[in-house]
Amino acid sequence: MNSAANSSLVSRIEELSGQRVLDCYQCGCCTAGCPIGELMDPAPSKAIRLLQLGRAEELLASEGIWLCASCLVCGTRCPRNVDYAKIAEACRAIVLRAKRSVVDPDRVSPEQLQDIPQQAFIASFRKFSV
Amino acid sequence: MKYPYYPGCTLYSKARNLDQCARKAALRAGFELEEMPSWNCCGAIYNTNTDDLAAQVGPVRNLAKASQLGERLVTLCAACYNVLKRASEHLQATGFEADRQRLLDFVDEPLIRDVEVVHYLQVLKELGWEGLRAKVAKPLNGLKIASYYGCLMVRPKEVLKFDDPENPMVMDELVAALGGTPVRFDFKSECCGGYLVVNHQAVADACSLRVVENARTWGAELVVTTCPLCQYNLEMAQRRRSSGNQLVPVLYFTQVLGLALGLAEAELGFDDNRLDPRPFLLTRGLL
Amino acid sequence: MARSRVGVFVCHCGINIAGVVRVPELVERVKTIPGVVSALDYVYCCSDPGQQLIKQTIKDKGLDGVVVACCSPNLHEATFRKAAAEAGLNPYRCEIANIREQCSWVTADRDAATEKAEGIVRTMVAKVREDVPLFRLQVPLVKRALVVGAGIAGIQAALDIANAGYEVVLVEKEPSIGGHMAQLSETFPTLDCSQCILTPKTVEAGNHPRIKLLTYSEVLEVSGFIGNFRVKIRQKPRYVDLDACTGCGICLEKCPVRVESGFDRNLTRRRAIYRLFPQAVPNKVVIDAEHCRQLQGKRCGVCERVCPAQAIRYEDTGRIIEEEVGAIVLATGYELFDISRVGSYGAGVVPDVIDSLAFERILSASGPFAGEVRRPSDGRVPKRVVFVQCAGSRDANQGVPYCSKICCMYTAKHALLYKHRVHDGEAIVCYIDVRTPGKGFEEFYRRATDEGVKYLRGKVAKIFRRADRVVVWAADTLAGKKIEIEADMVVLASAVIPNPKGVELARRLKIALDAHGFQSEAHPKLRPVETLTAGFFLAGCGQGPKDIPETVAQASGAAAKVLAMFGTSELYHEPVIAEVDEEVCVGCGNCERSCAYEAVKVDVRRGKAVVQAVMCEGCGACSVACPAGAINLKNFTKRALIEMVDV
Repeated sequence: MNSAANSSLVSRIEELSGQRVLDCYQCGCCTAGCPIGELMDPAPSKAIRLLQLGRAEELLASEGIWLCASCLVCGTRCPRNVDYAKIAEACRAIVLRAKRSVVDPDRVSPEQLQDIPQQAFIASFRKFSV
Repeated sequence: MKYPYYPGCTLYSKARNLDQCARKAALRAGFELEEMPSWNCCGAIYNTNTDDLAAQVGPVRNLAKASQLGERLVTLCAACYNVLKRASEHLQATGFEADRQRLLDFVDEPLIRDVEVVHYLQVLKELGWEGLRAKVAKPLNGLKIASYYGCLMVRPKEVLKFDDPENPMVMDELVAALGGTPVRFDFKSECCGGYLVVNHQAVADACSLRVVENARTWGAELVVTTCPLCQYNLEMAQRRRSSGNQLVPVLYFTQVLGLALGLAEAELGFDDNRLDPRPFLLTRGLL
Repeated sequence: MARSRVGVFVCHCGINIAGVVRVPELVERVKTIPGVVSALDYVYCCSDPGQQLIKQTIKDKGLDGVVVACCSPNLHEATFRKAAAEAGLNPYRCEIANIREQCSWVTADRDAATEKAEGIVRTMVAKVREDVPLFRLQVPLVKRALVVGAGIAGIQAALDIANAGYEVVLVEKEPSIGGHMAQLSETFPTLDCSQCILTPKTVEAGNHPRIKLLTYSEVLEVSGFIGNFRVKIRQKPRYVDLDACTGCGICLEKCPVRVESGFDRNLTRRRAIYRLFPQAVPNKVVIDAEHCRQLQGKRCGVCERVCPAQAIRYEDTGRIIEEEVGAIVLATGYELFDISRVGSYGAGVVPDVIDSLAFERILSASGPFAGEVRRPSDGRVPKRVVFVQCAGSRDANQGVPYCSKICCMYTAKHALLYKHRVHDGEAIVCYIDVRTPGKGFEEFYRRATDEGVKYLRGKVAKIFRRADRVVVWAADTLAGKKIEIEADMVVLASAVIPNPKGVELARRLKIALDAHGFQSEAHPKLRPVETLTAGFFLAGCGQGPKDIPETVAQASGAAAKVLAMFGTSELYHEPVIAEVDEEVCVGCGNCERSCAYEAVKVDVRRGKAVVQAVMCEGCGACSVACPAGAINLKNFTKRALIEMVDV
């Protein structure tokens, strides 16, 4: 993807999330405090770094944006008031709107349906499915 | 005193005990939850994309219906509280008048007035801890209780303005009023893993076990929650991965409230708990 | 009385003005303004030849008013007024038309800029035509200084002034002097012992014949004006006769009450009768009334019985002292951002998470463990210590947005000293950026890394307890990873904030403060030790975070400013002040209520407002507040203002 397309993607992500990626000064507090920070790749601060450098398509293709539980700890503690959860949500929306689901409702097992509170399914499908 | 009440879907099925104890305990505490005659799913999770109004239609429709009942709407499930409160704040936010108009045009009910979404805990606090203390029939005998608020009660802090997001206290105050000993711990508002349990169960379990472990470190014998998903994750993660004296019973705060206000054991819904708390409560003389 | 021989000088200021304003066109337009007899331009009017041009034109054309269209009057009003005076013109008939900051710097539109510049010049020509000659007011001068705060800043300023031959009143709120520097272990980047380099100064200040030391005292109010301040100071009851007490310390052993020691950051306990530390100046004890059994109405009296000097005075009520001084140095110092306010860092309740001053006490030979590094909870030697930088600094969300400046270096020092004392210990520093802009600082930081201190780039998000250890959630942003560290102790480099007592005092004295409560200097670059209130000077961390060398330098700078003032035989006050027309004044008091400087008072007997000339700062608030139009600012009369607007 050329850099013009990339930079328009960054603008689109900023618009959807209402966040400005250049507000971030890369302290890494979001990564440090993320409950899933060890597994999330790229970790939140690195994801924002990719956007600062105009490498949006790399982030959209990553696994990291699909591992966010929307706990909002990153944005709550950010010293620069950048909310990464909103950025990740915008990234997911761009992918989902291109019709790519990450969680397939048809593949949820009957045992899970029986067991887990429905709020989890709705939340999961809303965040991760077309 | 009657309050319009929004129960939500999960409280009608997998979290019946959260709801049933709340309604009965309210009567003993001196108020009544009057369920909205008609409501729909709150949406379960708030969507933050600036162009995505469709996800707000559900909660806004609930708010419109609630506006016909009064100025305030009481919620109980942490997720419903979070979504309805954020939707209500968005409707009232300056700079988003166009969103408000589009949503209200779409919803089939009129919004008579702006609705203040409050949580059951806030109602209890407003009514006063001293009054509640006087109504306690079975004090909790100093039971060391960690109040787990999770994410949805406190974040985003600038919208919910519920309590200090790093150290919320309202449930701790409730515990103290019921004769328990509130335990400060470091994971009051850390994530349980939430909906990741659907497709990343191990990740969610790790998050939940950290919460329980930290509560135990600070001396908690019991954890109370406000959210069906927190409750599920904290119980199931332990059931899957802990045993013996590592296990910490997890109850809805309304179960503890009902217990202290003298509800019968059968009314407390322990059968729906995934880690049976009864043996522990028996040893502490509370059953 | 409008003047009719006004000369206008348009400065190019290189391209600052001429790059936007069309200067030749402006000059032509200015020539048409009524009363203007000469309009010239010059590339740099403030230069010698530029000033020469102004002087020569005043003489050649017989000018009775001058307008220089140039930069802000803050910069060169004094220059051009002096030049005008040298050419025989009353300096208050020289005015500045600011066509740089208010015109050429705020637009790129050359037409609009030229038009606006003309408007600004017209306004100032209208003013200068109304200006009357004014003469500076002579002010008497008390050559005696007050220094508030006796940390290293206040001590240095007091010593410099006293050693130059003038008397100083040095006021300290604590029972002894030395401030935070007395709490420190060793100082970066040379690692000399803080007490060892401080005590010669405290002793000299304590014994100085020209320093009147008032400890355990606070400034209540200041009235008067530059050169003539009256200061009311409250000396709190010490319950110990300072003259009688020999500092023998017997009472310190016998007092039955034990209280947490604030000086030791609550790591040790002191008695209700105490002194801050063994080398205290003055080396006299004090009773903490809040905790003393006798003073709380219970039976005790132990200290009185054991005192061989009979120095205990339970009936002490303190006293009010009044002093007259000509200049005041504020050296009110700093505090650390309270760690109990940072919930995610353990809120002050997670064991073995301490702030940097507490760690200084632990490192100090006179501290809780006699200089051995042990952790507060169980006295064990910590084998892994995490040092958390920016604990509140650079954090607009949970702390303060600014950089506290000293933490990078003292954290390097902490980590290094820890390694020196615990050879097999691991020191990990979590940082966002390491800032070392000082002499020997980068080398010192290198020394820390060379000696094995590990630096991890990432802001710590959370600190919590796990069994008997402390867990730190950090990040390695260079690798893009979250890192969990299990440590034995955590030291927070908490943000430096202005001492709350200093903030409160400055508010009472109407000294300008910035958004964070630090005292504002008169100019950020060129007047760094003066305030905007004449006669008040600044030293040390009350003005902003700084290290010891910088504090001492600034304190000496403030002292030099005081001495420059004392070195002149007379003081002058600007004559642009309020003036009451008693014929019109009805004594309503609006002016008095509007005055921030307490310079206007209604004489109740006569029912007329009176301006205390030397206290008036010429702000004009009274003039606006007066319903009758009876009070006017000289050369800003209502008539002049109308002329200026109506151009």
